[in-house]
Amino acid sequence: MKIPLRRYWNLLYKYLRPQAGKVLLLAVLMLGALAMQLATPQIVRLFLDGAREGLPLAELTRLALIFLVVVISGRLVNSLGRYAGEDVGWTATNALRTDLVKHCLRLDMSFHKQHAPGELIERIDGDVNLLSNFFSQFVIGIVSNFLLLVGVLVMLYREDWRIGLALTFFSVVALLVLNFTRRLAVTHLAKVRETSGKFYGFIGEHLAGTEDIRASGGAAYVIRRLYMFLHDWLKQQISAYKRHALMRSSAFFVFVLGNSLALGLGAWLFLQGKITLGTVYLILHYTELLSDPIQEIRNQLQDLQRATASIARVESLFETVPLVQDGPGTELPAGPLGLAFEDVHFAYEDGELVLNGVSFELQPGQVMGLLGRTGSGKTTIGRLIARFHDPGSGTVVLGGKRATEATLAQLRHRVGVVTQDVQLFHASVRDNLTFFRKGVSDERILAVLEELGLSKWLLSMPQGLDTVLSSGGGSLSAGEAQLLALARCFLADPSLIVLDEASSRLDPATEQLIELALDKLLKGRTAVVIAHRLETVNRADRIVILDKGRVLEQGDRATLAIDTNSRFHQLLQTGIKEVLA
Amino acid sequence: MKSLKLIWRMISYRPGLYLANQLAWLAAYLLPIAVGLVTRALFDTLSGSAQAGYNVWTLVALFAALSTSRVIMIYAGILAHVKQEFVMGGFLQRNLLNGILRRPGARAISVSPGEAISVFRDDVGQVREGLSWMVDVINSVTRSITSIVIMAMISPRLTLFVLLPLILITTLINRASEAIQKYRVASRAATSQVTDVVGEVFGAVQAVQVAVAEDAVAAHIHALNENRRQTVLKDRSVNLILEALMSNAASIGTGLVLLLVGQSMRGGTFSVGDFALFVGYLDQFSHFTRDLGFFMAHMKQTDVSVERMANLMHGTAEDLVESNPLPIMGEEIPAVPAVTRSEADRLQTLEVKGLSYMHPETGRGIESVDLLINRGSFTVITGRVGSGKTTVLRSLLGLLPRDKGEIRWNRQLVEDPAELMTPPRTAYTGQVPVLFSDSIQDNIRMGQPLPKEVVAKSVYQAVLEPDIQGMEQGLETLVGPRGVKLSGGQVQRVSAARMFARQADLLVFDDLSSALDVETESLLWERVFAETDATCLVASHRQAALMRADHIIVLKDGKVEDEGTLDELLQRSNEMQQIWSSQAAKQVVNS
Repeated sequence: MKIPLRRYWNLLYKYLRPQAGKVLLLAVLMLGALAMQLATPQIVRLFLDGAREGLPLAELTRLALIFLVVVISGRLVNSLGRYAGEDVGWTATNALRTDLVKHCLRLDMSFHKQHAPGELIERIDGDVNLLSNFFSQFVIGIVSNFLLLVGVLVMLYREDWRIGLALTFFSVVALLVLNFTRRLAVTHLAKVRETSGKFYGFIGEHLAGTEDIRASGGAAYVIRRLYMFLHDWLKQQISAYKRHALMRSSAFFVFVLGNSLALGLGAWLFLQGKITLGTVYLILHYTELLSDPIQEIRNQLQDLQRATASIARVESLFETVPLVQDGPGTELPAGPLGLAFEDVHFAYEDGELVLNGVSFELQPGQVMGLLGRTGSGKTTIGRLIARFHDPGSGTVVLGGKRATEATLAQLRHRVGVVTQDVQLFHASVRDNLTFFRKGVSDERILAVLEELGLSKWLLSMPQGLDTVLSSGGGSLSAGEAQLLALARCFLADPSLIVLDEASSRLDPATEQLIELALDKLLKGRTAVVIAHRLETVNRADRIVILDKGRVLEQGDRATLAIDTNSRFHQLLQTGIKEVLA
Repeated sequence: MKSLKLIWRMISYRPGLYLANQLAWLAAYLLPIAVGLVTRALFDTLSGSAQAGYNVWTLVALFAALSTSRVIMIYAGILAHVKQEFVMGGFLQRNLLNGILRRPGARAISVSPGEAISVFRDDVGQVREGLSWMVDVINSVTRSITSIVIMAMISPRLTLFVLLPLILITTLINRASEAIQKYRVASRAATSQVTDVVGEVFGAVQAVQVAVAEDAVAAHIHALNENRRQTVLKDRSVNLILEALMSNAASIGTGLVLLLVGQSMRGGTFSVGDFALFVGYLDQFSHFTRDLGFFMAHMKQTDVSVERMANLMHGTAEDLVESNPLPIMGEEIPAVPAVTRSEADRLQTLEVKGLSYMHPETGRGIESVDLLINRGSFTVITGRVGSGKTTVLRSLLGLLPRDKGEIRWNRQLVEDPAELMTPPRTAYTGQVPVLFSDSIQDNIRMGQPLPKEVVAKSVYQAVLEPDIQGMEQGLETLVGPRGVKLSGGQVQRVSAARMFARQADLLVFDDLSSALDVETESLLWERVFAETDATCLVASHRQAALMRADHIIVLKDGKVEDEGTLDELLQRSNEMQQIWSSQAAKQVVNS
């Protein structure tokens, strides 16, 4: 878990460099506050010794007033510095968050299957929040506190070399002890944070499934699982904090030794007649002041310790490489794209072959109907076309080029996918359709909606395109959501479309409504229509039937339909039987 | 302040945890007072102004011993604190989840899950910290009173002047606290906006990727983050101003001491030891003013959190502290009680009259829907998209809070369908079922101690058995978050198996067939019908379902357009003919 300084530095440099000006201001403010802190004990000593030696009252009053001015302005400068620090921290962590979001958005499904959105919220937001202090306070804090430490020691040497030496020794020991103990809890805290991420994943998942829980009478079960979660988490928490408490109290103990040392030495020097009583007070004051930077350094190290766990997790996130790698880039031919699978084998991480030597070819502009039972590999074929995964062996060819030759962006600009699971955002209709991309004109959006017969629906939206949809599409029917998903796809104007059960939840009347629009929109595009049902493959030129990852049958739809020996023909019969039964 | 009341209830829920925390820290707070007295004695002994002649080295040793005891109390205090905070947080989280699970399932929360998570995490954290502030403030007050008494014994006049800045500052803080509340709300809202969108975006990561919208989405999140930075900074700046004011209190106090004691120090009536004591206590005193200020500010912020938590569960602050056992400290976690069925649960007739529900956002919904379902019957609700099929089922099952309508189970009025229209009476599979990160078996059982045969039979009825056989781990296969490791059809059938395993009298299907192929669907209906007295209520427009129906209800725009048998409806209902013919036409084309 030990992360070398170099990596801290890299992270700092990357995210603080763009705001060098603010960082400089922050440094100046911190140094100013420090200087004023060093000055105050000197004023008090002058006062105390002055009072004992009978200095005029006016002189004492002047010292008291100087004291007030220095102290108050010191605090103000300090507050300003902290504000600047927060600003720097948030700016830096926002940049980091954005980088993380971008990175995670580029990871493929093998990653996202393992990490629920709730967990990613915790990682991208929770972990990065912890790093916020690291950015804003760490370097400036450590540096300015180190300077304060040195400053105090210099001041003490000026009084008496023995006291200076003793407290230098003390400071070194204190820092060593603190540095030694600070790593005590890192791994444990990392575990606790991991559990906490999982916990909120658990909560999020169950909040999304309240309908299922209620309807299945599963509330008691969910609460029981919550208890088990909390029980394990608490155990981890206590064992981590035992170490944490040891770390903190050992630090306090070191200060106790320091203060006792200073007091003893000061008393001794006074009894020897080497120093004044005011100086004894000054030594005590400075020693206490010494504990501030040492504690502060400890705090920073502690934040660093927590940040270390977070950095490790953030870095491991950054280091997660998508299994699907960007291709070198190639221009795909304009117009509808031809598609071919050549002896494609594929297995998900858990090992079982989902596609076992699948080959087929589809000419540009043709529509292919993909049939098969659930689990036969239909959805996987769609995923391979859009390169959510790459085949284990064999090739996917698009427009005459290997799919892996094009960059992901080149490929996906040309491929559209409509899945049965429509995900809508808590955002305006426009943003939902354009995926937050600027520069898509309203006219174009309206034209697409018109084509899909959604104009009437849009009119029923109170603010038109600016109407904010509720999260998950809440008030929309499944059919409407599906139509919006189609609109999304066609707005992107793809050359090859994968329709995965796109019409499965539409009732016949609504389905009919978009049939015509689909006809229009599919014109001039290649399409793979994945369906469990026969009705949805009406418009197919080619038919491919999958079974257990192999092509059971393929051919022209018209030919297969009249071939009484074909599986497709049999399926049609089943469908008709269903009607006649 | 409702937070204080809430915190009081939390304390009385587990007083032992609280006392351990409070007492350990009280000792840690009071020991510095004693240390201050020793320091004073030391200075006075050195300057020779002490009445009794203490030994300098005894005093130094005493100083060290008292300080060391304080360190030990801090160690104990940290542990007590962590334990109390955690248990209290778990207590709130449990009650929150409990409250949400009591709500109508389809409208349990009115915010996105991401936003709700931020309530579970941040608002619970806020209250938990409030509890810790409480402990600190009580100790701070005790310490301050003690130190005031000691200071007043040395110089009542000076003590009075020391108190002035304190009073001034608390007044200022009260003035400022209104601003805190406002900025706090804004910064919390900005935070949940961020977590909300991040959660949604990663829930839809495939769609984002295929749209090549990664950068646009990241830019949108960045904009939300920047908005949060600005609101958080506003919030923080108010806090920092308060902090500066408060930490200045001690310094101003020390300055005042310096201004006022010049004369008496020159005259020797106020010793350096007295000065050291005053300055030391003042410093602690400043902690008090600071703590008190923070505490008050924090409590105001906590009010916001309490409100958000109560809103999330559509309850009151009282519901947040419902005192049920919380078996998380090693106590035995009770097993889920087995579902028991009585004779009254056995379905004879289910009668629904005038069922109405309007979706508040869209103003659409269902109006005056009547239903009559007899034991062993098969009822289909059909209609176009948006005609209200799902809404009927949800309102009937209490998954939506119906606006109007009477539900009678065996003629017995059902007041709260959410409570009573559940297993063993009814079971339900929704249109987009959700599974939970667990094994298939656990998803089916949901903690019920079902015999193996019941699980096996449910799996069979749901036509899930070929899938299970194909899986290496069989029923123990983990489904991943929300069931993503399974195919859409598998999720639907696991959810169907979950429904069958409830062994309910009335099975309610919402478009169960949408992710199933023709053969699987037929097989499933066949197996359902093998159960002779299965009673089914199905929302569907599929011919397979319509043809099996004893009774069909046609919905249009949320109202019952017509009802009857398929033949009757095909004769007279235009709407039914349309739904039917579009499908039939397709079948013919296919042949």
